[in-house]
Amino acid sequence: MRHVRAWLARLAGVFTGHRRDAELRDELQAHLDMETAEYVRRGLSPNEARRRAMLASGGLTIAAEAVRAQRGVPWLESAAADLRHALKSLRHSPAFTAVVVITLALGIGANTAIFSVVRGVLLKPLPNRDGDRLLYLRQSIDGPAGEDIAFSVPEIRDFRAGVPALGGIAEFSPWSLTVQGDQYSPTARMQVGLVTGNFFDVMGLHPILGRLTRPSDDGPGVPPVMVLTEQMWRSRFRGDPNIVGKQVRLDDGSVTVIGVVQAAPYFPSTADALLNMVVSPHHLSATMVLGRTHRMTEMVGRLAPGATLEQARAEVATTYARMQHDYTQSYDPGSHFRVAVLPFKDAIGERARLTLWLLMAAAAFVMIISTANVVNLTLMRGVRREQELVVRAALGAGVLRLRRLLLVENLVLAALGAATGVLIAIAGVRLLTMFAARFSPRAGEIHVDTVVLAFTLALTVSVALLLSFVASLPKEGTFASWISAGTRRTGSLNRQRLQRGLVVAQIAVSVVLLAGAGLLTRTMMQLSEVDTGLKTEQVLSMQVQLLPITKIAKGGDIRAADAAAKEGYDRMKQEALAIPGVVSVGVGSLMPLEASEIQLDVKVEGKSLAVGEAMPRADYRTADPDYFRAAGIPLVEGRTFAATDRAGAGRVVVINQTLARRLFPHEDPIGKRIAWTGDVLRFTPISGDWRTVVGVVGNTQDGGLDAQPRGAMFMPFAQELAMGNTVVIRADSNVSALAAQATAIARRIAPATPIEHVMTVAQIKDESVSPRRLNAVLITSFGAMAVIIAAVGIAGVLAFSVSARTNEIGIRMSLGADSARVQRMILGEGGVLLAAGLALGVGGGFAAAGVMRGLLFGVAPHDPATFVGVAALMALIGVVACWVPALRAARIDPAIAMRAT
Amino acid sequence: MADKLEVQQGTLALMILTTLEVLGPLHGYGVARRIEETSKGRLTLNYGTLYPALLKLEQEGCIKAEWRQSENNRRAKYYTLTALGRKQLARETRDWHRTADLIAAFLAPRREGEAP
Repeated sequence: MRHVRAWLARLAGVFTGHRRDAELRDELQAHLDMETAEYVRRGLSPNEARRRAMLASGGLTIAAEAVRAQRGVPWLESAAADLRHALKSLRHSPAFTAVVVITLALGIGANTAIFSVVRGVLLKPLPNRDGDRLLYLRQSIDGPAGEDIAFSVPEIRDFRAGVPALGGIAEFSPWSLTVQGDQYSPTARMQVGLVTGNFFDVMGLHPILGRLTRPSDDGPGVPPVMVLTEQMWRSRFRGDPNIVGKQVRLDDGSVTVIGVVQAAPYFPSTADALLNMVVSPHHLSATMVLGRTHRMTEMVGRLAPGATLEQARAEVATTYARMQHDYTQSYDPGSHFRVAVLPFKDAIGERARLTLWLLMAAAAFVMIISTANVVNLTLMRGVRREQELVVRAALGAGVLRLRRLLLVENLVLAALGAATGVLIAIAGVRLLTMFAARFSPRAGEIHVDTVVLAFTLALTVSVALLLSFVASLPKEGTFASWISAGTRRTGSLNRQRLQRGLVVAQIAVSVVLLAGAGLLTRTMMQLSEVDTGLKTEQVLSMQVQLLPITKIAKGGDIRAADAAAKEGYDRMKQEALAIPGVVSVGVGSLMPLEASEIQLDVKVEGKSLAVGEAMPRADYRTADPDYFRAAGIPLVEGRTFAATDRAGAGRVVVINQTLARRLFPHEDPIGKRIAWTGDVLRFTPISGDWRTVVGVVGNTQDGGLDAQPRGAMFMPFAQELAMGNTVVIRADSNVSALAAQATAIARRIAPATPIEHVMTVAQIKDESVSPRRLNAVLITSFGAMAVIIAAVGIAGVLAFSVSARTNEIGIRMSLGADSARVQRMILGEGGVLLAAGLALGVGGGFAAAGVMRGLLFGVAPHDPATFVGVAALMALIGVVACWVPALRAARIDPAIAMRAT
Repeated sequence: MADKLEVQQGTLALMILTTLEVLGPLHGYGVARRIEETSKGRLTLNYGTLYPALLKLEQEGCIKAEWRQSENNRRAKYYTLTALGRKQLARETRDWHRTADLIAAFLAPRREGEAP
């Protein structure tokens, strides 16, 4: 307590001390006077008395200094003096300060922003309790869309019984619902998860309002309940604190909100709300509960106490092998069924990992270049400041004191850069969050938080330390000779070597960044040249689901609802056709270029699978007679649908070229009969009857421009349930202008149904490449930043070299070197650096390109054109950067240059 | 002059506190005189030692200072012991005795050994 009090007093003394100096002088003077008086009283002469008193005092100034040291905090005060000095010195060189601050701000800003994304999406522990013990299980097969085929309820039941290492296994079945308009918000589609009662317990999540589901919410005959995610509660339900107990109306029936769960990521699809299974009678039907191939449920597990990931993997493998052995018909060997057990956090970060680490590396490269540049600038300034430092040393400042002075100055510079950088980062993080949302459900967790700021602080302090220690100060012993040598030393050999090395490194790192940017840009160019397979882009599509999936899933007689939906689509078609400029309107189950979520096995009449041959699969799509023409899907062979292919007429199909080649490699498919097959058909309203192939249409890039071609089978819209939900409108020009009119028609005909994805084909295309484009744009801007900084760096170092060599150049010129020769000399000096940097950079770029293979499309990682282009660009910029100082050297007037020395 | 001692760190505070307890409020000169007298001239205190020690005690709250007229009508800064200072004095006195006893005990056998 006593010490705390003393420290507070001293701290206060730092600020109030100077006011008490007069008082101190008086007190010491009084002491001296009394002592003098005492000596006089003892009989000394006043002069002698004064002399003795002075002698005994030990010196008033020294005493005052000692008291001052006790009064305040000396090191703090001298630091404050250093700070004042640093600010003054930086104010005197505004250009230097500005360049350093901007350069550092770019580097620190880029790193802070990208690091906050990496931390939010990849590094931060999950918000779930013991999130590192949470596992995600994934079943995959070969072929497109086979990466994650989910699990069936019987499969999950087997894992529950056979894997004791998993203490809890919960089910999460992605589903979508329409929430009817209410006092909070209008009607809207909602992505939800149907979950088992133990879901939240396994996930380790807690409610922020009300309660979460529990095992008593499982099974049939319980009331349907809904748990809102925090985000949905805040947005759609406006954070109503009394939401618990309220009813929410769905397409069909209503559910009770029982609680709001803390913010957390869901995977593999996002969820706005979680409901118990009873909401969908289909999920409790015998078909779902007993059908081993009815895979539509995701599985999350929590490691049992004491169990390890390896144990869980081994037990899952054993159980899965037994399942495949016991139910051979559900796992055809040609498709290579497999199950992976992944930590939940890794599974979530999987798609983002490569992209984000690549960005982090790019940002780190920018930091390296910025730092190199700032080091160079500091070195050059150090030469000009040498005189000042020498004077300070001569006045008694030690090496430590000088070092501290430099450190404070560099800390101020770095802090200014960091503050600006953090502002840049905060602005950038909002953009990056949108970018990251395309890769990761954790995008909401991206913030510039304390850990990110600690990272920034560490970066800042390291830069300041580095800058303070590259400046060469003499060793303590050689101080005197340094002082006496004075300022007659320009640019030592070591320093020049360091500067050149830094320039080479800058160029090399810039080339690596440019190579990455070049490859990603080439990827974008390749993607934009991909033929979508559609004949036109003047196509607008919109999704209006008149017959809700929930209604189909409920089972029972839905013929009336189906007929009503079809009539609704018919009216929309008629009205849309009346819009001026519209050429054709079609209806189908999916938008053009959209991949189907329904993939089913296909068989051909009179053919059986060869041993080991994978079961052929195709996307389930429906189309009315006008769909192909409206969407611009070309007919290759046979015919498309006709009005006569109505319900009750002979079943016909149109297949795409991929499926035709797969099923009929050497035959004409027209007239052949094919059918959907597989156990799973029993659980769907899709018929397994034979259907006659009447036409073959061209392939389209369903599921993205970079996607593998997928087999597709089109059914006549009239012969199937109206699961279809897309109206496709083709116009002769400028179709995007029709969006408002089309939306108005749909709204009039189906006021209670949400209208989604009103998009032109061009927009759909764009959407599918936008994550890649953002990635390319980010890396390219990092590359551009790097090149600019590097160009400034090389020009600066050469200019400095020219000014340091003015004298030498003057001598050369007076001995007969003409200005062209001098220019060549300086260019040659820069050229060597440039060549070395280019060589290193191309080598580094080759190594880096291999890592980013997974992000490229249509271009080889070592694409020669890209590397040649990048090297040429860097060389060009480098030569221009060398030219400026070279010209300046050539203009040196020997007379002036020599007189100046 | 040869047997004059430099005042030891830590003991000066104790001396100042004792002086103020015995003599009551006193200025810096008075404190210095008293300490020098008590030490019978074996200790000298220059200002650079005394005043920082006084300031430290003031900062710790053991003493407080105020300007007053001295007996010979001179303005001087007087230091007074506070309640906290008294407590501190008691504690330090106790500690000092303990330390002194301990050191004496350590040194005693050697002296005995040397004596014969």
